Amino acid sequence: MKIPKPSPELYGIFLVAISTLIIPVFREPFYMYISSLFMIFSIFSMSYNILFGYAGLLSFGHALFYAGGAYTLALFTLNLLRDPLIGTIAAGLVSLVLAVLIGLLTLRHSRIYFSMLTLAFGMLLYALLLKWRSVTGGSDGISGIPRGGIIINIVDPISRYYYIYTFFIAILALLYILHRSKYGLLIRSLGANEEFLPFTGHSIFKLRIAAFLISGSIAGVAGALYALLMGVVTPDLAYWTTSAEPLVATLVGGPRFFAGPILGSLIFIVLTTYAARIADIWQLVLGLLLIALILGSRGGVLEVIDRIWRLRR
Amino acid sequence: MDLTPIFYQIFIGLYRASIYWLIASGLTIIFGVLRVVNFSQAVFLVLGGYLAYAFYYGFTGSFWLSVLLASLCVGIIGVAVEILLLKPLYKIDVTYQLLMTFAVSLIINDATKILWGKLPVSIPLPEALGMGVNILGRTYPLYIILMILTGLLIYASVTVLINRTMWGLRVRATWRRPEIAESIGINTSIIYTSVFFLGSFIAGLGGSLMVAFSPVAPGLGDFLIVSAFIVTVIAGLGHLTGAYIASIIIGISESLFTLYVPEIDLLLIYLIMAVSLLIRPQGILGER
Repeated sequence: MKIPKPSPELYGIFLVAISTLIIPVFREPFYMYISSLFMIFSIFSMSYNILFGYAGLLSFGHALFYAGGAYTLALFTLNLLRDPLIGTIAAGLVSLVLAVLIGLLTLRHSRIYFSMLTLAFGMLLYALLLKWRSVTGGSDGISGIPRGGIIINIVDPISRYYYIYTFFIAILALLYILHRSKYGLLIRSLGANEEFLPFTGHSIFKLRIAAFLISGSIAGVAGALYALLMGVVTPDLAYWTTSAEPLVATLVGGPRFFAGPILGSLIFIVLTTYAARIADIWQLVLGLLLIALILGSRGGVLEVIDRIWRLRR
Repeated sequence: MDLTPIFYQIFIGLYRASIYWLIASGLTIIFGVLRVVNFSQAVFLVLGGYLAYAFYYGFTGSFWLSVLLASLCVGIIGVAVEILLLKPLYKIDVTYQLLMTFAVSLIINDATKILWGKLPVSIPLPEALGMGVNILGRTYPLYIILMILTGLLIYASVTVLINRTMWGLRVRATWRRPEIAESIGINTSIIYTSVFFLGSFIAGLGGSLMVAFSPVAPGLGDFLIVSAFIVTVIAGLGHLTGAYIASIIIGISESLFTLYVPEIDLLLIYLIMAVSLLIRPQGILGER
């Protein structure tokens, strides 16, 4: 087997992996919190980009899997089995099942239908979380999510940080393997030139389902990690603005690149943390950012860097 | 058994149906011709309500004048969106057009909150419309009858506009074969803009008429667009008659279920959607 030459993108990813690894050394809880948010949001955005950047499917309902994972973890650890690890796995599995059901209903149609239907399904979960008070706690959500359990214990902030880090690195590696694999290339061809795909003997529908399953279950894991970090889940997680966030992050970073969602998440998290005043006009900021990106640079920051890089050589 | 409450619920259902229809009709004609799903259609409706409120208390003091001005303004805002934000995107992938209208709806959502606050606003009904009409021993508000008739009027006039006028002929040509329409001298760019104006105008009209009876608030558009999407999906995207029928089906069933099974009111529309996707994925009037 030939080992591919590492791309400049890969160096950036190593840099991220190393810096997130050493953050707890500073013993600053705020840095650790921001870094955890960044890792969780990166996982969420990477899962989103499998649909958007690879398969060319614009989903407005990705929050369904995120919130689905978060609520699964909360309900599972509080009612069934007190363990964060099994809870996280359960969250991934529940999101996988949700992805099968919703994928079968939405992916047979055109891509426009897909966008409209994912919005509807996302809002369905939101309505359900809000209405089904006895189970989901209504608008208050569920708090007091346990961090200690029979298999692992992540009550201590540093162990919790490394718990999230482990998932971050594992998913990063898995998705990079997918990105470089033949199967990943097939999924990417959905977005690039879908009309030629049937001539290769592959089914568009099956590849779309595969992309949807991978994307949905990883988003569910991201949601579970978020629930563990925060200790509380609320229905806002399922609202459509939550779906718009990984979309904006991906567009900022560059949907064509593997590292795009990661860079986008970094910019996104820094922006939202240090400009807390924009919380009141969050939708306005998101909207203006989107317009600027769509009209200005659909390739994101990485495409700009890529272009400069090629010019210099 | 006394059937009056059922009739009344059906009547209220027709009112809800008209609101869905006033969003879905614009969505349908814009999609039909431009192949753009206008995500901002529902916030255009809400914006129509806010503008009517602003005009009413700002200077006009007249219900009808406010409705007219508000609908025209929303139409013009629609034109601005189409010319400035959508025209540059027609040559590239459809997802970016959808994304653009999504961004517009996010912006309008927050803009209404900044300009008019978080609380719901409404305007008083003109006295002549405040009366009721007595049908079979139950009083029905005249105003609601007006809304239902507006919906019907929009259906009739859009159908006539598209099928019986010269403009409609050009629209149909652009709809079927934009390149050929262009080659025989139809200015498709103007057709696109005028269709977008019509769609936004209808939404503005719906919102400004609605605001005298149902107050508008920030975030209202979020739920309305989901309902309108579901209506168009059930109808089959691009089918005007189908969209009208689907609006009525959803409006009436929601209204009846609220009376008898109130627990599922929020979820009912999604159930109808799921069932419809399973048994008629191409839409009620769509063909395979």
